[in-house]
Amino acid sequence: MKIIKLLLVLFVLAIGSAATVMYSGIVNVAADEPHSNFVYWLLEETRERSISHAAKNIKVPDLSDPELLLTGGTDYEFMCASCHLKPGQSESDMSVGLYPAPPNLAISSKTHVGHEHDDDDEAARRNFWIIKHGIKASGMPAWGKTHDDQRIWAMVAFINQLYTLTPEQYQILTAID
Amino acid sequence: MKTLTKLALVLIPTMALSLSATAHDPSLHVKKAEKADCSKMDHSKMDMKNPVAIAMMKKCMKQSKADDHKMKEMDHSKMKKIESKAAKKDDQEHNH
Ligand code: HEC
Repeated sequence: MKIIKLLLVLFVLAIGSAATVMYSGIVNVAADEPHSNFVYWLLEETRERSISHAAKNIKVPDLSDPELLLTGGTDYEFMCASCHLKPGQSESDMSVGLYPAPPNLAISSKTHVGHEHDDDDEAARRNFWIIKHGIKASGMPAWGKTHDDQRIWAMVAFINQLYTLTPEQYQILTAID
Repeated sequence: MKTLTKLALVLIPTMALSLSATAHDPSLHVKKAEKADCSKMDHSKMDMKNPVAIAMMKKCMKQSKADDHKMKEMDHSKMKKIESKAAKKDDQEHNH
């Protein structure tokens, strides 16, 4: 009986302190104020676990068709480059101002900080899921609401090659004809 | 604070930011319908097994069909001939 009472008190205390933090206004939601290391770790770990769990059964189609680079390229230029940059560009207002910051997809995923990608299929699956569903409370929209899977896979194929492109190659692939 | 209020606190600045973000750099938000600049293609460096190279060729061929004179701007003098590539391969094979 005593133990149940104690647990109850602890429970009420926990809710109470959570509510105090919430309602006091002490939590800073400004995008120009980074999370503490602990909160950052918590959110990142939650995001990565969530994505790999949700994406694990996605079947990766053949992404080697050059035609995919053309549709994917045009879409990338018009919908993504403002946040995720392109060859020869190292920052934009969005890439600097958003928090969490959109990663620079024009450099190799091995050189951007945060996480490693195990293999190509794993990375493709992850990218497809993120593009289709977006990421809550970040600037990353869910493009699946307005684009079919085929167009999203084309962007995945394009992103696979993006870090190898020169600004001139990028211009040719992404221009509209 | 309701989740909705919190969400709004995050989303409204995000949206406001994305609306005005490119306004400072005109080159970014003037999205003119640019054509592919095929004159900059360096065919000598192109490996025709590479999907990027193939895609670029496709794009420029499609475009040059649309307006013919564009083709003249490509620097074909630098293009490796297919035969020469095949010949090189042969050489290597008979070298040992
Ligand atoms: C308004 C800005 C914005 C636009 C536009 C945008 N994204 Fe993102 N994207 C983000 C942000 C912010 C993240 C990081 C989210 C996070 O870390 O939780 C992200 C993450 C990603 C990731 C995961 C990258 C990684 O390795 O962690 C991929 C892939 C991606 N976006 C692809 C795209 C594609 C493709 C498009 C265009 C169809 C696009 N994004 C458009 C903001 C944007």
